[in-house]
Amino acid sequence: MSKTRHRWGSAARGVPGIISEVTITGEIRGSRPRRTPPKLRVTSLEVLCVVLVVALVFQDWLVSALDAPVLRTASTVFVAVCVQALPFLVLGVLISGAIAAFVPASTLRRLLPRKTALAVPVAGVAGVALPGCECASVPVARRLMQQGVAPAVALSFLLAAPAVNPIVLVSTAVAFRDAPLMVPARFLGSLLTAVIMGWLWVRFGKAEWIAERALRRLPDRDGTSRWVVFAETARHDLVEAGGFLVLGGVFAAAFNVLVPAEWMETLGAQIVLGVLVMALLAVVLALCSEADAFVAVSMSALPLLPRLVFLVVGPAVDVKLIALQAGTFGRGFAARFAPVTFVVAIASALAAGAVFL
Amino acid sequence: MRRETQNILLVLLGGALLKLALSGTYLRYVKESLQPWLIGTGAVMILLAVFSIARDLRAGRTAEHDHEAHAHEGHEHGKSRSPWMLLLPVLAVFLISPPALGADTVNRSDRNAAQESKASNGFAPLPSDEVVPLTIGEFVTRTAWDDSGSLNDRTVRLTGFVVRKESNVYLARLTISCCAADAAPVKTLMVGQDFAGLPDDQWIEATGRVVPGSATKDNAYVPTFTVSAINPITPPEDTYEG
Repeated sequence: MSKTRHRWGSAARGVPGIISEVTITGEIRGSRPRRTPPKLRVTSLEVLCVVLVVALVFQDWLVSALDAPVLRTASTVFVAVCVQALPFLVLGVLISGAIAAFVPASTLRRLLPRKTALAVPVAGVAGVALPGCECASVPVARRLMQQGVAPAVALSFLLAAPAVNPIVLVSTAVAFRDAPLMVPARFLGSLLTAVIMGWLWVRFGKAEWIAERALRRLPDRDGTSRWVVFAETARHDLVEAGGFLVLGGVFAAAFNVLVPAEWMETLGAQIVLGVLVMALLAVVLALCSEADAFVAVSMSALPLLPRLVFLVVGPAVDVKLIALQAGTFGRGFAARFAPVTFVVAIASALAAGAVFL
Repeated sequence: MRRETQNILLVLLGGALLKLALSGTYLRYVKESLQPWLIGTGAVMILLAVFSIARDLRAGRTAEHDHEAHAHEGHEHGKSRSPWMLLLPVLAVFLISPPALGADTVNRSDRNAAQESKASNGFAPLPSDEVVPLTIGEFVTRTAWDDSGSLNDRTVRLTGFVVRKESNVYLARLTISCCAADAAPVKTLMVGQDFAGLPDDQWIEATGRVVPGSATKDNAYVPTFTVSAINPITPPEDTYEG
């Protein structure tokens, strides 16, 4: 027994970070005096193995436990939300990694107007260039902050990108063939939301609301190749944000089967209630911004204005996005940012509706 | 969570996406057009993980001296618990493999995916075959909005699954525009036969004729379909319409 331990101990020294936490022997304690408790540490690696084995053993039981229609529907929607969003998240983390590795902070500073209040609308319009849904823009916005872009500017990019890009506008135009004014209305409503939120952050926002880890500068590349920075940044962002995306998928699937669809039909007539209900639905359904127009157009019992609210609120704030933001920028940030965005998005949609509809 | 565990999770998740995309099961969850994206995403995840594993192994062999730095990094990564959530889709895909949406979803929603806007493009004449195969979406749209009555007295064949609500039996399909979360149903009420032997979610080909003018605003544009023959079939690979 002591022999095996000895081998483990020296292996742990040889491959740092891989099994150094498996056993704490005298030798390791010698080199790292801080870790005193001489007990066997269970690491995530062992936990993962146990979870996988248990899941395999109980597979039949799991499958039969999920064999109720509601649970089947919910699990399908859960997998669908994850599968649909992951490509966009990967696109986002690749862009984020590329910014970290190849775009020096000075270039970004040169590209944006020096005054933050002016840079906010510029960032909002720049959202046109990122053709993805909201999952892609969160890691990119965070990377922009780390590279020294003012948080207000990065946040208005975060809100604008999923809603004003060409793919979303074209799919809105296709869905609303009979009401082409929905397209400019949506564009204006979403851009207003992004810019107003940016300005609000300039005026009231505090840097300490954002988790320190999100703003921490990357350590200087002391000789590491750019490609290593690129791959490591992308990998780290993917693992962190991916977990929260999955959490958002769980909520979206739960709401998908729990929110009764009759709500919309019965409340359609009352415009004030209709606006509120559609805004809430946009938050809980967490649809991809490239698909929400098709859902909105099929709610034909409703007037256009509540449906516009649905389209403007959805890409700016929904459960999937709140989970991603909480994970990326911290819970304190999400708890303040999401409710304010919700209110601002409704107001912007109503303003845009007043102009176009 | 430790780096090594994160990398294993990434490989598993990338593998799950590749399995969905290459086996065709992805059609239960998303549109066909997403397939190349899923393959790319799965490949990128696995590449990122393998790259990181390879770096760790190399660093472990060559750099015994910066043990402390690496131990510190490992410790720091240990704080975050969120990556554990990545295990959920992995388990769902490999162990449970949820089915395509069906009758339960149709009965959850009063929405109708068939849209009036399609009518403004005008309706192409139907082929002159004796039995015209139609999608349920087109069947509903033509019944509701084609004033020329192109469906009247025509025998059509519809493919879909059986949905029961109260005492009514419907033939339905779901349409998705991005993923299964935005699924919306199209359906038609079946009459003229004894449907007692057909369970929910049974896929059938039904041949019959529309009751002209039966899709109105009052019944949310659900037409009535007088069925003359029913043929149970195995579900198609892509169960969604449109």
